[in-house]
Amino acid sequence: MAKDANSRAAPPAGQLLAGLDRGWTLLVDGLAALGTLMIGVLMAIICADVVARNLMGASLPLVSELGALTLVMIVYLQLATTVRHDRLARTELFFTGFRERLPRAGAVLACLFDLTGAVALAAIAWSTVGIIERDLSSGQFIGVTGVMTLPTWPFRALIILGMSVSAVQFLVMAAKNLRAAARGKGART
Amino acid sequence: QETIKLTVASSHPTTIPWVGMIKSHFMAETDRILAEKGNYKIEWQEAFGGTLYKANATLTSVEQGVTDVGWVFSFLEGAKLPLSQVSTYTPFTTSNPPAQLATMAELLDAVPEFRKEWEQYNLVVLGLTGTDGYDLYTKTPITKLDDLNGMKISAPGVLGTWLRGTGANAVDGSLTSFYTDIQTGVSDGVLSLALGVLPAKLYEVAPYLTRVRMGVAFSGAVAINRDSWDGLPAEVQEAMTAAGAFYTEAHGKDLLERHEMAIAKIVETGASQTPPVVLSELPAEERQRWVDALPDLAGEWAAAAEAKGLPGKAFLSAYMDGLRKRGETPARAWDKAE
Amino acid sequence: MTGIEIGALAVVGLIVLIYIGLPIGLGMLVVSYAGVAAIRNEAVAFRMAGAVANDSLREYLFAVVPLFVLMGLLVTVSGVGKDTFDVFQQALRRLRAGLGVATVFANAVFASITGISIASASVFSRVAVPEMTRHGYTKTFATGVVAGSSVLGMLIPPSLLMIVYAVLAEESVGRMFLAGVLPGLLLAGVFSLTIFLLATFNRRFVFDTPVDGAAFESFGLGRLAAKAVPIATLMLLVLGGLYGGFLNPTEAGAVGALGALAVAAMRRSLTGRSLWRLMVETGQITVSVLILIMAATYFSRMLAMSGLPTALADLLLSGPIGPMGFLVLFLALVIVLGCIIDSISIMLILLPIALPVATAAGFDLIWFGVLTVIAVEIGLLTPPFGLSVYTIKSAMADPTLRVSDIFRGALPFVAAMMLTLAILIAFPAITTWLARL
Ligand code: NA
Ligand code: NA
Repeated sequence: MAKDANSRAAPPAGQLLAGLDRGWTLLVDGLAALGTLMIGVLMAIICADVVARNLMGASLPLVSELGALTLVMIVYLQLATTVRHDRLARTELFFTGFRERLPRAGAVLACLFDLTGAVALAAIAWSTVGIIERDLSSGQFIGVTGVMTLPTWPFRALIILGMSVSAVQFLVMAAKNLRAAARGKGART
Repeated sequence: QETIKLTVASSHPTTIPWVGMIKSHFMAETDRILAEKGNYKIEWQEAFGGTLYKANATLTSVEQGVTDVGWVFSFLEGAKLPLSQVSTYTPFTTSNPPAQLATMAELLDAVPEFRKEWEQYNLVVLGLTGTDGYDLYTKTPITKLDDLNGMKISAPGVLGTWLRGTGANAVDGSLTSFYTDIQTGVSDGVLSLALGVLPAKLYEVAPYLTRVRMGVAFSGAVAINRDSWDGLPAEVQEAMTAAGAFYTEAHGKDLLERHEMAIAKIVETGASQTPPVVLSELPAEERQRWVDALPDLAGEWAAAAEAKGLPGKAFLSAYMDGLRKRGETPARAWDKAE
Repeated sequence: MTGIEIGALAVVGLIVLIYIGLPIGLGMLVVSYAGVAAIRNEAVAFRMAGAVANDSLREYLFAVVPLFVLMGLLVTVSGVGKDTFDVFQQALRRLRAGLGVATVFANAVFASITGISIASASVFSRVAVPEMTRHGYTKTFATGVVAGSSVLGMLIPPSLLMIVYAVLAEESVGRMFLAGVLPGLLLAGVFSLTIFLLATFNRRFVFDTPVDGAAFESFGLGRLAAKAVPIATLMLLVLGGLYGGFLNPTEAGAVGALGALAVAAMRRSLTGRSLWRLMVETGQITVSVLILIMAATYFSRMLAMSGLPTALADLLLSGPIGPMGFLVLFLALVIVLGCIIDSISIMLILLPIALPVATAAGFDLIWFGVLTVIAVEIGLLTPPFGLSVYTIKSAMADPTLRVSDIFRGALPFVAAMMLTLAILIAFPAITTWLARL
């Protein structure tokens, strides 16, 4: 996206919006970076377990549970940035040609897709709120009582965060597509 | 005649006896009773074997109505069903499934907190399930307690606590994951029951069968979603209640007989594999060392339950007394600890 | 409406949504929600959505996905692929169309340390294509060979597709991996035969110039050995660990990724910045795969609730079609879908419906899985959406190279894969022998 000279003279509302957009991008990228770090953490946890088991004859506690939860974190923390870069698998069979032929209608369709995504992910996030409530009230944990346990609610909270941010990211993209449609352009920024 | 559609589901396949008996006993008996009057007929939609949900979601799936009827695996619900865990914190107490299931059924009627623990999750308990006896199945022979030191032993959920004090590391898993876990070296063996080991063919990867006779455990219930239950005619409800009791009793007897049959079958089938299955009995004094080495599991468990406002100690005593009343002699008086 | 009708309607709805371009995972979430809401009620659909999102990915096994992807990307940047190619080039250069065969076998070996086909395609398009064109091969043929042999990446273990299949079919990943070995070697053999026949009977398809005048770069035995060491080490680490019983698949992924990181670091092919970029890319691939798996879990639970797969099994297997007819029908459907949808999506959409039928038909699910993987991989080479072909196009950055030329070059290899499928159907033991040992 090219920054032109007009942006300096933009009205305060525009500046605020641009600032919000930048802040939002920072949040999405920050979560993704956290998820990326987790890939390294995952590799380290598992390798440490392999070493411990083969050299010291004892496996580390909770590795399989932690590995599984770390993976879940990686997925949901990076979901928003995947959404933003349009990396979710889809077919180009109809959509690409349609957008080229009818840019406005294409932007409207893209906007509808984004709204679908926003609703679906928001529903999952909201449904997870119910799960976290039940987890908190029953003290849900992973692991074995008396050996080592971890509460599950922090992981649920991260799922809710990842899903909500992704849902909002879909909304942001829906707004951009809607604006493009209103302006009569099909370009997706 | 009115037809009622009900979904029945489980996380485990019907080759696991207590899941298979849901079909052969609970469903068949319900159908039989209803057929006598001929007013109602149930059209069962079967989703056994984890097609609707996995072992980690048996309670919530019945609670939320993902299935109408389902087997709830209480082992994996330690946080939500604390009192139901009593048998898993009192190992070496009984090897008699009918006595244990009868005791639990009695407690379900006698202790309101125990019934509420189940019914608060929007379900109605129809029948109870238990396990057959727990023994060790390992990659290397076990002749004394010290052999376990440093080994990684797979165990389902809370049963990992039975290894405390032995020096073995508990690896969490379920009947569906044990085979691969042992084969790939995640664990060196499994603390499991003959009825699970046989169909899952665990003896192929863990051929040393050491009979420790750690006892049997209460494993859960066949339950129905309360909304589905409330929508059923009284005649169907009565039929299901009766079929549930029939299931519990038949299942208890079946466990007792099948355990010995399964062990014999494992030895027989495993004789031709390499290395062949080797059956041995853990010597009595080594078994007693294990019993004594365990920390006060039941005491810790009861204290944790009391902290949640549940009658942990009273429930523990009632459970142990219920078993003694039925002729069982626990190897350790868990309810009489200091 | 009966559950079966709702299930069928959901499948049709999904096809429409995917066709118009809704992301496939979202499409599965939407129809599953609607399906469950219609079969039961909306409250159940809502709670199931949350349960699926929270529980379906919580499997230790899935940790293998980012790890194998990371490993594949690391070996891609560290030049291990070029070394492998050099070794085979030296060994096979006297053969007719030897460079083509060398590409196939270098791919087969490289496949054993990477779990994704796009890694193979991007490596060998940069390594093998320039070398082949220098020696007078046509660009069409050279890129076709690379595209064709890249499918070995997901057939020979480790393999992301095999993992996905193993999860859906509840088969052991280790056994699925073993099952891919012999079919992978068979496919490499059939590919080599194809190359040989083309070079003999259709020289103009293969060669631009009648005589190859270009010199071969020659390495002494010492250099050659040095080139073979890193890949041999990684193979030993991953496959040795896996089958020696030291590592489970997830651990093999972690150890392999660490090993690939060490190789890349020792060869100074990484900077902090490029490592971070690789990890970001790993994350993106992981998310797009696992979100699909999550959505597909919901989809398959909805289908199980509808009773459609069971009804379909009754219909297909009791009718005149029979098990073999079902198999052929299924594979044909996979290949057709492969023209337009990516590999993993095809498996996630079709397998929840097809697996119950395959089980009822009494098929060995490991054999069925290998056939599925090969059929799915044909889609990597067929227009209009052929992932391997597009990967080569973007890796080559050659404006004179047309996508249609690569598709044309890959066509003989599509035929070779169909032939291999037929052989594997006729002789199931090729697939099952190692896995059921
Ligand atoms: Na591979
Ligand atoms: Na294709």
